[in-house]
Amino acid sequence: MVGIVDYGMGNLLSVRHALESLGADTAILADPEELADADRLVLPGVGAFAEGIRRLRETGLADALGKAVKGRLVPILGICLGMQLMARRGFEGGVHDGLGWFDGDVVRLPQESADVRLPHVGWNDVSPRTQSVLFRGLPACADFYFVHSYHLRCRDGRDVEAACEYGVSFAAAVRKDHVFATQFHPEKSQDHGLRVLENFLQWRP
Amino acid sequence: MLKRRLIPKLQMKTSRFGATARRVLVTTIRFDRVIEIGDPVSQAKIYEAQAADELIFLDLDASAEHRDTLMDVVRRAAEEIFVPFTVGGGVRSIADFRRLLAGGADKVSVNTAAVQRPDLITEAADTFGVQCVVLAIDYRRNSDGTGRVWTKGGREETRLDPLSWAEEGERRGAGEILLTAIDRDGTGQGLDLEMTRKVAERVSIPVIASGGCGLASHFVDGFFEGKADAVSAGTYFCFKDENPMQTRSRIKNAGIPIRLHT
Amino acid sequence: MKDLKRCSRCVLPETHETIIFDEAGVCNICRQQEFKQKAIDWGVKKRELDQLIASYRGKADYDCIVPFSGGKDSTWTLHYLVKEYGLKPLVVRFDHGFLRPNVIENTLRTARALGVDVHHFTPNWRVVQKLMLQSFLEKGDFCWHCHTGIFAYPMRVAVNCRVPLVIWGEPSSEYTAYYSYDQPEEVDEKRFNRYINLGIGADDMFVRLEGMVDSRDLDPFRYPPLKELRKLDYRSVCLGSFIPWDVKKQSAIIRDELGWRGDEVENVPPGYDYEKIECCLQGVRDYIKYIKRGYSRPTHLASIDIRNGRLSREEALETIAEYEGRRPPSLDLFLKFVGLTEAEFLGIAKSHMVSPYRHDERLVKEGKRVADFDRWPRCGGMPRDEATVQLERFLRRDCGRAAAAAG
Repeated sequence: MVGIVDYGMGNLLSVRHALESLGADTAILADPEELADADRLVLPGVGAFAEGIRRLRETGLADALGKAVKGRLVPILGICLGMQLMARRGFEGGVHDGLGWFDGDVVRLPQESADVRLPHVGWNDVSPRTQSVLFRGLPACADFYFVHSYHLRCRDGRDVEAACEYGVSFAAAVRKDHVFATQFHPEKSQDHGLRVLENFLQWRP
Repeated sequence: MLKRRLIPKLQMKTSRFGATARRVLVTTIRFDRVIEIGDPVSQAKIYEAQAADELIFLDLDASAEHRDTLMDVVRRAAEEIFVPFTVGGGVRSIADFRRLLAGGADKVSVNTAAVQRPDLITEAADTFGVQCVVLAIDYRRNSDGTGRVWTKGGREETRLDPLSWAEEGERRGAGEILLTAIDRDGTGQGLDLEMTRKVAERVSIPVIASGGCGLASHFVDGFFEGKADAVSAGTYFCFKDENPMQTRSRIKNAGIPIRLHT
Repeated sequence: MKDLKRCSRCVLPETHETIIFDEAGVCNICRQQEFKQKAIDWGVKKRELDQLIASYRGKADYDCIVPFSGGKDSTWTLHYLVKEYGLKPLVVRFDHGFLRPNVIENTLRTARALGVDVHHFTPNWRVVQKLMLQSFLEKGDFCWHCHTGIFAYPMRVAVNCRVPLVIWGEPSSEYTAYYSYDQPEEVDEKRFNRYINLGIGADDMFVRLEGMVDSRDLDPFRYPPLKELRKLDYRSVCLGSFIPWDVKKQSAIIRDELGWRGDEVENVPPGYDYEKIECCLQGVRDYIKYIKRGYSRPTHLASIDIRNGRLSREEALETIAEYEGRRPPSLDLFLKFVGLTEAEFLGIAKSHMVSPYRHDERLVKEGKRVADFDRWPRCGGMPRDEATVQLERFLRRDCGRAAAAAG
């Protein structure tokens, strides 16, 4: 069962429909105890870092996620805000601690020229590293749908699974062992996005 | 590189076929002359298959009476469509935002209610995130060439002009501007490039230009001269032989970065 | 009238959909040919097909559905599946209303030689007439019922008869994949919506017909819900994704083993008797294309031959001069079926002209009849008053729209 973590932020329905279209058996999990039943997890999210991490902690989901992901090594995919919450710290609306699974900070995308409008909205192409799990079977410069103003700046380049250009080069996807995350919305990126989700579903350690 | 976007607009009204009321897709001309042209979910799926970058659903009925049929369209769209979609028309409150977003919409567009109570923009941005809030601005040109914002589906004149209202909208937390030229809507005469460019230069959030596309070159002009980040078309794809796949090839051939695959 | 610009290599003109000419004046279709398919490991593909078939064999009332027209591709597909794999297929034939005598005989010979169940469906002719007229008015293409019926109806049979595997014939190269995935391309609703239904679904057509038909009348043309197909664990694939497609070899085999015969087509040069032989109104279809775009089947066929080194460009231009731009005799039948006058027909077709082509009907010559012309069914013409109602509604909507837009 693929558990979609519900902390009140994000378009859970779309994620669910996308996963089910790939044949996955899904469940929306708002109760921390239910995470124990999941073989795989997805942490979606749309909105601000501060609010996101606050809700995860207050509901007990942050702890339950820690147990599942760090303890039982359950594979997890973070999406958009979900990816950002996995960082060490977030700088949106003050400084906040994230889940700390990736050594990096979530900072605002720099707007060095008038061409760089924020939020970064729309389809942008992504360059995956060679032998990337998430991007297996996809062409070198596929477009995915982004909608965000902040990005996860990784200290360790090896965590970066794929990069994207928008004023600067930023992490479009990250990975550390069984923890995967994308800044873009795979459930909103049509065929290529569905392929990324499928690659996540099929991955074995 | 960030691509420009092609966003079909699906305008909906409720129509009766015998005993049943159903949502139908309509086109308009200058916000009038409603013509029933198809089924919203069927067309949404067709547009998606033709690589539409996003979709905008506009509820022209905008009344509580028909809310269920609207939510039915949103729900069915969310089940099968894997590109982002915006829903607007009759959005009046945070509760409306919440219902539509929970129902599967990615963004919600607000128009009249934002003019009546601009704080709504900020409240929505704070609650759901800036990226969920689209400020829809419908306008007409005055005889002196300046613009005037109209609400209630083009029926009520305000004292606002599109430029300063767009600027205020951004300041209050809107994530995007959907700018529609009422006088060009459905005419096929081309977008209002001058006003589009002025708005695009006045704000630093993305601008979606709409109203008047009749040729593929109008889209190209909208991106080049109008400096729009996205172009939305409600009538363009409904008659004759135009489809998003063809249009995108022509946009690409003109040198504009746009997605070609699905 | 100025001549259309044509590719300097083949003869496709500037009005061809999505054509682009490079600095040398060569078109993108010629260039694509150069880079067409990456090397495909047909051994691997064949094993995939073996596995696919094995996973569905014997599990339902039929091992698979084979959508069938009687043309060379579907005949070859059926032949291959029966002979190579010994499958028990359900042959599904959607009757668009204009099957020519030869293709009916081809089908009979094939079905008897191979020994298969054939499910033949003929939709309501009165509905078909309305759909033909509406589709012609909306899109300048009267074949909506055929495009949709051929691709949607077999999927409905799959759901209703609970036969999950559907195997089509057409080779996958038609589907221009820019890059290869691990899996073969599926013949699914996405493809239906992208390429097949002219951008109009059954539910859209229902609205456009303004209540002239019952919603159920459009069922044969409506793609079944994805949920229903998924419940079956369906697969809908092309045989051409798994085995190399060799038209010459395959045509020879079906001629020898099944007695399959080609046929002449209105306004097409001799030597192309294996393409588009199924439909009595093919000539009208080609003629409408000519009115819209200034070229039709002879240009299309000649261009393919040029790219395959079978024809020179000069020869091609001669063939086009002789065969293109002719009025097909079948137009008389079409006009009766949809209740239009020839002037109305021309006016509607011309409203869909693709710039810069401007059609001049005075330059059009009469084309030759084909041998079976007198045996084509002529009954069931649309009464003039019905056609007028439909035409007037459309014009009121369309002209009213155009006037309002201009005003």
